Amino acid sequence: MVAAELVPQEAIGRASLLWLIPALPLLGAAIDLFVGRRLGRWAGWLATALVAASFLISIGVVTQLLDLPDEERLVVQHLFDWISVGDFRVGMDLRLDAVSATMILVVTGVGSLIHLYSIGYMRDDPRFGRYFAYLNLFVFFMLMLVLGANYLVLYLGWEGVGACSYLLIGFWFEEVANTEAAKKAFITTRIGDSLLLIGLATIVFKFGTLDYGEVFTGAPAVLTESAATVIALLLLAGAIGKSAQLPLHVWLPDAMAGPTPVSALIHAATMVTAGVYLVIRSVPIFELSPVALDVVAWVGILTVLFGGICALAQWDIKRVLAYSTISQLGFMFLAVGLGAYAPALFFLVAHAFYKALLFLGAGSVIHGMEGEQDLRRMGGLGRRMPWTAFTMGIGALALAGFPFLAGFFAKDIVLEIANTNERWGFYVFGSIGALLSALYVSRLWFLTFVGRPRSEAAEHAHESESLMVVPLAVLGVGAALGGVLSLGPHGWISRFVEPLVGLVPEGEEGIPGPAFLVIAVGITFAGLLVAWWVYASGRVDWHRLRERLEPLPRAALHGWYVDRAYDAVIVQPAKALAGITANVVDAKGIDGLVNAIGGGTRRLARSGRLLQTGFVRSYALVVFAGAVAVLLYVGSRL
Amino acid sequence: MRTPIAYFVMLSGILFALGTVGVLTRRNALLIFMSIELQLNAVNLALVAFSRMHNQLTGQVLAFFSMVVAAAEVVVGLAIIVAIFRRRRTIDVDDARELRW
Repeated sequence: MVAAELVPQEAIGRASLLWLIPALPLLGAAIDLFVGRRLGRWAGWLATALVAASFLISIGVVTQLLDLPDEERLVVQHLFDWISVGDFRVGMDLRLDAVSATMILVVTGVGSLIHLYSIGYMRDDPRFGRYFAYLNLFVFFMLMLVLGANYLVLYLGWEGVGACSYLLIGFWFEEVANTEAAKKAFITTRIGDSLLLIGLATIVFKFGTLDYGEVFTGAPAVLTESAATVIALLLLAGAIGKSAQLPLHVWLPDAMAGPTPVSALIHAATMVTAGVYLVIRSVPIFELSPVALDVVAWVGILTVLFGGICALAQWDIKRVLAYSTISQLGFMFLAVGLGAYAPALFFLVAHAFYKALLFLGAGSVIHGMEGEQDLRRMGGLGRRMPWTAFTMGIGALALAGFPFLAGFFAKDIVLEIANTNERWGFYVFGSIGALLSALYVSRLWFLTFVGRPRSEAAEHAHESESLMVVPLAVLGVGAALGGVLSLGPHGWISRFVEPLVGLVPEGEEGIPGPAFLVIAVGITFAGLLVAWWVYASGRVDWHRLRERLEPLPRAALHGWYVDRAYDAVIVQPAKALAGITANVVDAKGIDGLVNAIGGGTRRLARSGRLLQTGFVRSYALVVFAGAVAVLLYVGSRL
Repeated sequence: MRTPIAYFVMLSGILFALGTVGVLTRRNALLIFMSIELQLNAVNLALVAFSRMHNQLTGQVLAFFSMVVAAAEVVVGLAIIVAIFRRRRTIDVDDARELRW
């Protein structure tokens, strides 16, 4: 299904600036890290300006790419040799093609808006400069991840964004819970990362190179189906960890401990989509293994349902969005698993817009309520924060799949492909997932902005400053109009990436188009209406309703106790094993042996110990003098 | 063009000498520790340089081993320093000398 081979072009003209795109944020990170404290508020402006500059360069580079004919849309820039051992060479190469072009526009575009917003949001933070250093460093690693021309550069970025995610989740490390969340995120994703690394080693073993071009053109000849399955599943494991899919999703809800703009940038718009990017990037390998693609689709659809149900029961505004992100990423995996790579990429772009918007809106709400995150204590904020309410409303409608907003196109293409290819399970469960997303996001919006204020803080809430509202408005426009990128399966973005990932697999079967559309729109409106009826019409006492449904809401609130299960099955046994090795094997066995040797030595050493002075440095001098003496002796005999 | 081997050896020698001076003159256990790392890495540099000169990998492999050993050494050493600090509230090595007999 993958189309003709692309011929790599030299990086000339505007494309020769490609290296600047990641370099500028790196520069910003270095400056802010070393002198950020002295720069004061300029640290934030500097970081924002550099990412914005990257965005402008990205536009310049991508427009040049668009001017090339289809089969030449691949620019590779070789920066320097990174590793060169025997026949194995890895270059620090950047690769600009349709997929990475889309990604860098999203990363730098959404990234610079979130930087701008952060200047307002982090205004009073004592570690203002360090925050922007981390944020810039994150953008650098994310750009390396998507621009890399081989798997090792991708892996560099992959681990780098993980480290930045760790630093930013634990940014307010005075609270122990935040550092715990940071560690959890890092260690959980590390499980996936390790498998990814094994996957890369397998690629080296099979191909002798990590270069995308060589691997992809060689794949059909080199790999048997089982080998492709092994590699694809190992790559998928990495993607599952990074994109918080079942069963490694547990870190993302806790990652909300970080500052809200971080949640918007890293844990919604960019880093968590790296897994989707990895799978789209590795299409030539996945295409060789129908099994792996099915696994991707099933992981996706299960995550869609799981995340949607959990999001419906959360009280913390950010945790609703976290579970929503998990669920939406599930949709992207589902799309990839169905072979719909271009729609998955479009879903990623659309999701980056409306989820970043929702997170920034939530940040604005939290800011306006002096740190309150509990939906039960909000209500009636629409009048006090009109801009936030309006823009978040657009984001919510986009996520719910309201007609003609970005999310509508994104979700419907995925469902349509499931429908026309008669993958009924995916179609039905996907539609349920769509219903859930309409429900939870409108629940969130109604509970926050409609009704009477349910706390002091909600009564005295205030609209955020314009620095924070402007990014909201821009993202709102993106979330509303993003759909033009992808009108139907043959939209602009599909044609753009077609040379890389092939055509969208369209079947002829299934529910006919008009009926399909009616069902899809009906589902969205059903979700919105039910949420309105329960949470905003005043006719239902939702506290009582929830109590009557117990214990389901409580289980969903706690993520179906997956954390507790992991604790019981993995953490506690590991601790017990560690206890045995520490208290029995080590204390009794090894220490016993050591003590016995020590006791013997001690008896031997009674006579020699009088030489000791106890000054470490004089011992070091003796060692040094001895070494010199030996060298002189050896030298004199040569 | 290749950088002459002498440059690497000289750099390595300078680094080693710096490390040695640090070990001999510092009293703070952490600084001594850092100086030792400097010495180790000076030797690693020499190993890699000679390995390049001879066009074979043995030296580089040996450098990897020494890095692993150095990592293990850091673990043990820092643990000792932390333990000493907890007990004595100082890591001045000249103070820690009651183990002589």
